[in-house]
Amino acid sequence: MLDILNILSDQGGCQSGGCSSGGCGSSDALWSEGSSACGCSGGGPADLVAEDGAQLRRDFLKNASSIVLGSVTLTLLPGSLGAADKAAGATAASGDSEPLYGFLVDTDKCIGAGKCLTACREENNVPEGQARTWVERYIHFKDGNIQVDLVPEVGYTGEEPEIDPETVDKAYFVPKLCNHCADAPCNQVCPTHASITAPGGVELVDPDLCIGCAYCVQACPYGVRFINHETGNADKCTWCYHRITQDQTPACVEACPTGARLFGRLDDPNSEISQKIRSLPNSVLKEHLGTHPKLHYIGLNGEVV
Amino acid sequence: MSFFRDTLHLWILATIVVVGGVVGFFARQQFIPETYGDKKGRYVVYRAAALDEIKAQPSIWIEDQQCLNCHTDVHDEREGTLHETVACYHCHGRGKKHIEEALLAQKDDSIEITPAEEWDGDFLTKVDFFNANNRKACLVCHESVIGMPKDFKQIVVEKHLKEQEAYEVDSPEVCFECHGYHDTAP
Repeated sequence: MLDILNILSDQGGCQSGGCSSGGCGSSDALWSEGSSACGCSGGGPADLVAEDGAQLRRDFLKNASSIVLGSVTLTLLPGSLGAADKAAGATAASGDSEPLYGFLVDTDKCIGAGKCLTACREENNVPEGQARTWVERYIHFKDGNIQVDLVPEVGYTGEEPEIDPETVDKAYFVPKLCNHCADAPCNQVCPTHASITAPGGVELVDPDLCIGCAYCVQACPYGVRFINHETGNADKCTWCYHRITQDQTPACVEACPTGARLFGRLDDPNSEISQKIRSLPNSVLKEHLGTHPKLHYIGLNGEVV
Repeated sequence: MSFFRDTLHLWILATIVVVGGVVGFFARQQFIPETYGDKKGRYVVYRAAALDEIKAQPSIWIEDQQCLNCHTDVHDEREGTLHETVACYHCHGRGKKHIEEALLAQKDDSIEITPAEEWDGDFLTKVDFFNANNRKACLVCHESVIGMPKDFKQIVVEKHLKEQEAYEVDSPEVCFECHGYHDTAP
């Protein structure tokens, strides 16, 4: 540490003689590397006294900064040591047994019955008008237009505006929910550390720490977060964390009548989801953003965002 | 001209460091929530108790297995049919009261489960199923909607009934006459 200070003061000071009485301490050195502001007076006898004073000041600053820096380092040391210890301990304790969950949606199977929507709302007590999961319907018309609408919660009841099947090229349903990104942008912007990645790779919101600032709502590229009108907190799909930690599947998976939603462990190569992701063509949403979602889709069209 | 001439500055610095450290220490204790950072690993720091709070949320969704524990015959009927992935509740409702009663009856023989015909509201019994919910239970999935996969069995009701030459078009049981119940034929 003293070496650094020496180098700093040497850079600013004159090598041949002392500095003028204007003073050229180590603190100034940082700002006057070119020595233009800190000229040298040529090293005559009259400068001896001034040099003494400058030397004293320099020594004082050196010692004082060492003490300050040393004490700051000492203050920080216990904390940093503790953190490192804990990190090492946690990694050793978790080992290979920690699960990594994943979700697979087969858009070829979704029929838009809307059962998953009700299931999620009831299971997680989501207020009316807001949703943790929803199902979009993409309709490609023959004239090149694409229409996207939302599947009603009770399914299509025949009261929706009629669309002539003759004008439609293709149409399909896309269930949407939290992608639980491995590099979650929502997680990074949270000012209170309320957005957390729980063991298992599940993105959760700590209801006690959340202040409802909605930064995460804006940060999420998939629009899965919202501010819950009833609690005032950020709310999102948790993959039913309370269920999956008890070896149950999320409510929407349970409720799907066609098995379009599949939940499982990605860390287990023999699980159904791992095998399907390996063997079937599948993709993730907005891959170019580098968020590494753990929600995969089978049969996803390029227009889906 | 001694080295200790400017020690007052040192004392000021030392005081700032010490007082700041003490204040900081207590402020840290005050402001950091309990159990914060208890579990650290390859994930970010978080409040460990939050996980337990989220885990403690009651699971109200009823899985099929809970029904099949008692209604074992249904499982056999449904096995291998196209409706294998359809859950009990999709047609019969959630039946929370019924399940609660059944679970109590398992522990205590004196409790009798109310016959299905006497249930109202919550549990869509076989009787309710036909009278109140009737064929809508089938049509919520099988009525043709733009966007459905091509290989999914879907009908336009009038067209289908006409094609099949159904006699009682308005009967709530019209679906079951041909397609059966749990062992649904295509």
